[in-house]
Amino acid sequence: METGQFLQYLVSGLTMGSIYALVGLGFTIIFTVTGIINFAQGEFVMLGGMLSYILFTSFGLPSGLAILLSVVAAALVGIMLYLLGIRTARKASAVSLVVITIGASIFIRGVAGQIWTRDPVRPPYFSGSESLSFAGAYIQPQVLWIMGTALVAMIVLHVFFSYTMLGKALKACAISRAAAGLVGIDARAMALIAFALAAALGAIAGSVMAPHTTVSYESGVMLGLKGFVAAAIGGFKSHTLAFFGGLLVGLIESLTVAANWGPFQSEYADAVALIALLIILLIRSRRLSTEERAS
Amino acid sequence: MKAILRNKWSYLAFGALLILLAIVPFTPRLDDYTMLMTFIAINTMVTVGLCLLMGYTGQVSLGQTAFYGIGAYVSAILSKTYGVNPWLAMLIAAAATGVFAYVIGFPIFRLRGNYLAMATLGLVLVVYVLFRELGEYTGGPDGMAGIPYLSIGGLAFKSRLAKYFLVWFFCLAILLVSQNIIRSRTGRALRAIHGSEPAAESVGIDLSRYKIKIFVLSAVYASIAGSLFVHTLRSVNPQPFGFMASVMIVTMAVVGGLASIWGALFGTAVVRILSNEVLLRFGGLDIIIYGVILMIVMILVPQGLFVGLRDTYERWRLKRTRKGAVT
Amino acid sequence: MSSSILETKGLYKAFGGLTAVDKVDLSVESGKITSVIGPNGAGKTTLFNLIAGVYMPTSGEVLFEGKPLGKTPPYRRAALGIARTFQNVLLFDNMTALENVMTGQHPRSRYGFFEAALRLPKAHREEETISLAAKRYLNLVGLGMYADRNPLSLPLGQQKLLTVARALATEPKLLLLDEPGAGLNALEKQSLSELIRRIRDMGITIVLVEHDMDLVMGIAEWVIVLDSGQKIAEGTASQIQRDKKVIAAYLGDEEAVE
Repeated sequence: METGQFLQYLVSGLTMGSIYALVGLGFTIIFTVTGIINFAQGEFVMLGGMLSYILFTSFGLPSGLAILLSVVAAALVGIMLYLLGIRTARKASAVSLVVITIGASIFIRGVAGQIWTRDPVRPPYFSGSESLSFAGAYIQPQVLWIMGTALVAMIVLHVFFSYTMLGKALKACAISRAAAGLVGIDARAMALIAFALAAALGAIAGSVMAPHTTVSYESGVMLGLKGFVAAAIGGFKSHTLAFFGGLLVGLIESLTVAANWGPFQSEYADAVALIALLIILLIRSRRLSTEERAS
Repeated sequence: MKAILRNKWSYLAFGALLILLAIVPFTPRLDDYTMLMTFIAINTMVTVGLCLLMGYTGQVSLGQTAFYGIGAYVSAILSKTYGVNPWLAMLIAAAATGVFAYVIGFPIFRLRGNYLAMATLGLVLVVYVLFRELGEYTGGPDGMAGIPYLSIGGLAFKSRLAKYFLVWFFCLAILLVSQNIIRSRTGRALRAIHGSEPAAESVGIDLSRYKIKIFVLSAVYASIAGSLFVHTLRSVNPQPFGFMASVMIVTMAVVGGLASIWGALFGTAVVRILSNEVLLRFGGLDIIIYGVILMIVMILVPQGLFVGLRDTYERWRLKRTRKGAVT
Repeated sequence: MSSSILETKGLYKAFGGLTAVDKVDLSVESGKITSVIGPNGAGKTTLFNLIAGVYMPTSGEVLFEGKPLGKTPPYRRAALGIARTFQNVLLFDNMTALENVMTGQHPRSRYGFFEAALRLPKAHREEETISLAAKRYLNLVGLGMYADRNPLSLPLGQQKLLTVARALATEPKLLLLDEPGAGLNALEKQSLSELIRRIRDMGITIVLVEHDMDLVMGIAEWVIVLDSGQKIAEGTASQIQRDKKVIAAYLGDEEAVE
């Protein structure tokens, strides 16, 4: 394979990987602060993409405003999910919370499919679709937007968690809810913020991704799954590992398609994520001590 | 472990169920429901595994239909393409599914996190694609037809009635077997895990081993159901084994109740009837309604609807008799 | 010289920057009642959990009957003969009191899935054995008449006795009691002391972590005192009462040794 082609696959892998990374970050944020696996994470991405399209086309809003509003709307949906679904849940157990988020995710997906459209849609490109030529590969500007957004998001989050009061409060909750409570941090407010933040992050990912890959009411499922794998690579603890995990998943996916070898034809590209997940889990289960499993 | 059922009310309910099952196919207006009831029986076998799984491991599997599908396709392929005896094919399918479930379950249940839901989601999506793409074995998107009947000693289960009774026999057998397991030492271990994991460990119970066992059991149940499904319909295609079907099973389990065996029957019947009568008229709304049911039931009655209703009834009964004894 | 059923050597456990157990060497004599005491935060519970296998040592080791336990998980320690109770009770509220005790027989019974599923005679026979053994232990702690009750319907003192019965049903060689006296009234503590002595007389070694000094001084044949993760003294109850280091440790804390 010539370098140009290889580079193309590499870019494609990093592009999708950036999206998975953002989704993975969303999972990690919610899990570290609340201990919940939010199944609806993928749907926030879908909402970001679809809403920015709807607001642009049906309401004629300028692209930038449409995206901003879609992110805000997604954050609101995240807040509602928390307030109505999680906060009100009686005697909630781990099982019931997961099922609630599963229910929420299919509900959101179903409603999106009903009230909008079932066809894939494509919001406008941020800066045109004229491909740039680079070392034999053709890179669309939207790709740079995607990767850039992921990078910026990662840096902003890092600064947020390490240097701002709110961010540190969230991190404290992640480490120990009880201890955080003792120093006056309201765990429930933190949970609310975590949901809003994760939803916004997802929506940002969706808005920047949609012009490149199109988005449909069903996009959330696979994105959620792959973002989950990214978060799993980070052990649901580390934002940095989740980020690079996402990039890794994107790369593996892209390269298996590139290899076009035997059982790994492009139809099975999705299977790669699942197999990767199982392998990761296997590796982690061997390294975890009894203590981490028990406590 | 002495009596087969818990108390005289259970015997009464069971008896009523048997009578109902016996009458329906022979009653003029009700016999239209024979096919529906056949499918309720098949679905219940898948649901009960999930109820037990959710109840005793505290995790959700979105992949029951993957095991259902594997059972179905293995049975179909072995019995049609390779002429294997259908009973043997069913056994092989169940064994293969069990091993597969073990391989998947092993890393997942040794970990602390809630990985099962996503992992099984991935599983069901991949398996669905495999069913659709491995055309030379599975017949692709159109599937296969002309699958042989199950038969015993020359008598084939050909008629609607024969299939009805065959399937219900298996369904009730599985429910009773599950009951036996729950009331035994294994069941006590599972209930202990459900009650308090640290305490269960302190009395020598290996948590992950039991969780994996229940997962494998639920997969085997689903596989048997899948085999019966193809021998009933005599055809198979990827459609019933996708993600939405899995969601429907979860809804059935949630309506039925976590860790509840007979609740699984209740939940399956309710959701099946609902989906047939109501949802068929409202096309794409089914996924929205399932989502709403899942959310509302889990928010209000986290132990599952049937179990919640039963518990409320028991508490009411307790207040009336004012005794401290609860069995 | 009677053997040590339980020993720790250089046992060290740190959580991040916090040292909970700091290079503790101790030895528990077989067949005796040993108590571990110390002010709050001394590391007693951590020590307990290290012995039970809930925590793994950062360094050092725990030896049971002379053999290092290493990374043996809690459920296997139960089969080896180490039983424990919990500070926060942890009964199974989804089964009767008798069934709770029957779970204790888990490591001493064998029949599994198939025998249960098919209701084979082996299953029936073992169930009989398990049931009888459980009834015996239930009677031993004086709760025989509550066999069919839901454990939550019992008062705290009896719930704790039930967990002792459950632990006894595992037929242990070593019984770890985690603050058995907490929340009990004077009369209940009296019965508890008698029960502990009876268990000792059955040949079971007992280690208890306890805050109530009267209870400890009344039954402990050997006392080990921890403070800030370190062992600061050990001896008989009367020796400990007069030990200056122990008194100093406690005066720094609300509770005082009499």
